[in-house]
Amino acid sequence: MKYILLFSLLTFSLFAGVNVGDKAPDFTLKTLDGKKTHTMKDYRGKVVLLNLWASWCKGCKKEMPEFISLQKHNTKGFELIAVNLDDSRDNATHFLSTLKQKIPFTVLHDEKKNLAKAYRCSAMPSSYLIDKNGVIKQVIIGSLDSNDIKILQDEINTLK
Amino acid sequence: MKHLFFIVFVALFLVGCSETLTRVQPYEKEHFADAKMSLSPLAERAEHEGHIFLIREASAGGDSAYQGGCGCR
Repeated sequence: MKYILLFSLLTFSLFAGVNVGDKAPDFTLKTLDGKKTHTMKDYRGKVVLLNLWASWCKGCKKEMPEFISLQKHNTKGFELIAVNLDDSRDNATHFLSTLKQKIPFTVLHDEKKNLAKAYRCSAMPSSYLIDKNGVIKQVIIGSLDSNDIKILQDEINTLK
Repeated sequence: MKHLFFIVFVALFLVGCSETLTRVQPYEKEHFADAKMSLSPLAERAEHEGHIFLIREASAGGDSAYQGGCGCR
């Protein structure tokens, strides 16, 4: 019995992704311009929407304007962190410049995809709603449209 | 002790077949998403050719069916 338990632990632990109620994995990533370093701890005490995106992902690009308006409507107690997973940060910078808007949220670059691995990202884009204590409250797979953002806004309001 | 080594060995062996190691992860598909990876480099032309093909073969939806197999599309 002991061995079966050990066997199960060894195998199943490697398949486990992040779930609602789990502590959000920590990260240390640089901004897209490479000037500043951000960690998850910097956002403790704020509701966070962590978005994993890439410039080659159509769904990611589609939801970006929605994220801009979401951050603009939530200036206090909420931070949107968009983590870019492009190999080259130039592609991400180019895409953001095509939006022709000032990006009101933090954009980080994860060249080695360590954060995507930590979250066991199962689809692009993926977003994670994290509460003030750094606990994952919602896992969102796929892109969000304006209706989804409205529902998400309600959730953010309850967590604030 | 022998059993323990055996179990650890089998576990590690099975981990080698795990999805995370064998499958290209969604965030690793940058090069697959590249335009040059497309089977047809001219998307508009491919769509047009597909349309003609479907009409001539009378097999609407037979290319890449949208919706289920009810035949209503």
